[in-house]
Amino acid sequence: MASCGNPIADDGALMPSRPKFDKGKYCIKCKLNLGNIVIRHAVYCRDCFIPLVTVKFRRALEPHVNANTGTSKRPKLKASGSLILGFSGGLGSAVLLDLVYKSYLAGHPPTDENGDPRGGINHPRNANVWTTCAVCYVEVSGAFPEAHDSTEEIRSTLASYANLEFILLRLEDAFDASWWCRVTGSSDMSQLALELGKDGLPTEGLILARSSNTLPPKDALRAFLTALPTSTAVSRAIQILIRLLLLFTAQSRGASHLLLGSSLTTLAVSLISCVAQGGGHAIREEFQEHWPPGSSSRIGLGGSVRVVRPLRDVTIKECTAFAWWNGIRVLGRPGLMRAIAGIPGLTKDFVVRLEKDYPSTVSTIARTCAKLEPKGVSVGECWFCRRHLQGGLADWKARISIRSHPDPKVAAQLTSPSPTLCSVPPEQAPQLPSLDTHLCYSCVTMFTSRSSRKLSSAPSLVHRLDTPLPRWVESKSTGVPSQEAVLVSDNGELWVRNQQSEGESRKSITDFLLPDH
Amino acid sequence: MSTITVKVEFGGGLELLFGNKRVHSISLPSSVPTDGTIAPSNSETPPPAKSDDPPLPINGPIRDLTNGPGEAKTKPLDVQYLMHYLRTRLLTERPELFMEGDTVRPGILVLINDTDWELEGEGAYEISDGDDIVFISTLHGG
Repeated sequence: MASCGNPIADDGALMPSRPKFDKGKYCIKCKLNLGNIVIRHAVYCRDCFIPLVTVKFRRALEPHVNANTGTSKRPKLKASGSLILGFSGGLGSAVLLDLVYKSYLAGHPPTDENGDPRGGINHPRNANVWTTCAVCYVEVSGAFPEAHDSTEEIRSTLASYANLEFILLRLEDAFDASWWCRVTGSSDMSQLALELGKDGLPTEGLILARSSNTLPPKDALRAFLTALPTSTAVSRAIQILIRLLLLFTAQSRGASHLLLGSSLTTLAVSLISCVAQGGGHAIREEFQEHWPPGSSSRIGLGGSVRVVRPLRDVTIKECTAFAWWNGIRVLGRPGLMRAIAGIPGLTKDFVVRLEKDYPSTVSTIARTCAKLEPKGVSVGECWFCRRHLQGGLADWKARISIRSHPDPKVAAQLTSPSPTLCSVPPEQAPQLPSLDTHLCYSCVTMFTSRSSRKLSSAPSLVHRLDTPLPRWVESKSTGVPSQEAVLVSDNGELWVRNQQSEGESRKSITDFLLPDH
Repeated sequence: MSTITVKVEFGGGLELLFGNKRVHSISLPSSVPTDGTIAPSNSETPPPAKSDDPPLPINGPIRDLTNGPGEAKTKPLDVQYLMHYLRTRLLTERPELFMEGDTVRPGILVLINDTDWELEGEGAYEISDGDDIVFISTLHGG
């Protein structure tokens, strides 16, 4: 109720609250039944609501099923590959799985009077849209020591859906050489690590280096997450790991589509959160993504994967009611574990509150963001998140950044060239394989941002060496010459190791080679 | 004083806050205090809710209504009172994930006899005997 006076002094001082529906309590669709649910000020009965959600789902998915749209207004649906469905056990993915299963996998072909499929079982009408369907679940408990492993609950939830393949991934697979070999065929077992600049700022470069010790995948994951500076960065890193685990898996299996259960509400959350974390250049990928960017696969297996969010027009309230009325099991989350924190968590709280009072505004967020276009051109893809990389980023950062430090000694060290580099002539100075020019703005921010709430203490000059990176951060795969630099400054010596290409190796020993003939 | 029996269900993971029990049958007095103080229950007497957060002012100490007639104003049993009752009597952890102020936390869908509570007047809906009230959390991701 909205107060317009002192309710203690005057009983009639409270204004009656406005109803949250526009017209009467009858369903606006059939106009016969009393309504059961209010969706964006419109009242629907249960009988009309269920088909409404199904129609929204199909309308969002089916235009993206066929590889080529063709000229037909109602083309026959036929995907070019298999289907992978990202499943978290949460509300959106549970509803999505149910809708996909009932719409495309469990349907029986139309039969004639004898009970035989019309047109025969080999009639094109009776062919499945996708050759196979697999449900892929990423277990994130490896990131949190206190977290509960939900794999068995997920498995039992999926048991009610026949003929679905279950793919179990773990978040630590991103650091697992055997997983990487499985999905890419790469035999490179080496582990890359991240070395921040000495002040943690990207100006000196986020340096790639070969890790001196290879950690087990779970330890590597935890070391990676521990090295991130903020809870926002941890949330974002986990989201990226999950996304790329799904994408690499989908591609390795020849999947043409990866479906995710993002509802309109969660889409609005991810859009605002993406912009707030500096990912505005890749905002279109939050809606729909063709992966890898540019569709030319360097992985060598499979083609491009379409990432589709078929529930993008269905609010979280609609998903909830749909799941309840259809008996869809949604797994809860133990109270201790909260994978989203920082900006994503705050954004989610904000959008969910907004949806309660102003439900139409949430769809306005999504519709407005759908009209956005990135201003600059893309110059490749980010090595970490594998999304479009904005051009001119380093110049822009150099123009807007001012580096200062309260400690004059540290400031002097930061502004002067590194002593290790001064000890060698410029022509012998190493070419540091700087990672920051190959990372998008939001990934650089993820690695280097500092929480504004922490007290500013003098940063340690000890480099944080050997922060492991996911397997896909592989300089060789990105077509950039692989270089490694290890700076050893204890005795003033500089050690530089470069990985040469075959041509460079041949050139260096050309005087000693015997002629071919 | 007459009592009303109501069936309360939790879904979408909200049952985890209520001892992982999905369905509860609760008997409540048909007339309850307007200030939200909780009357003693005859059907279920679980331990009071535990929380690290300070209790909200509305969630006052449990008081016996039989202390004296006319001591407190009463009203018919409504959903708002039921929510306070659930928080005080059945909730086992993290009350801030269930209620916020006088109403449920945003992101929780309430169905009264299979109908959205927004169509029924939300917290002001007067509960009848045999009503089925469902609280479903929507906050469990995509």
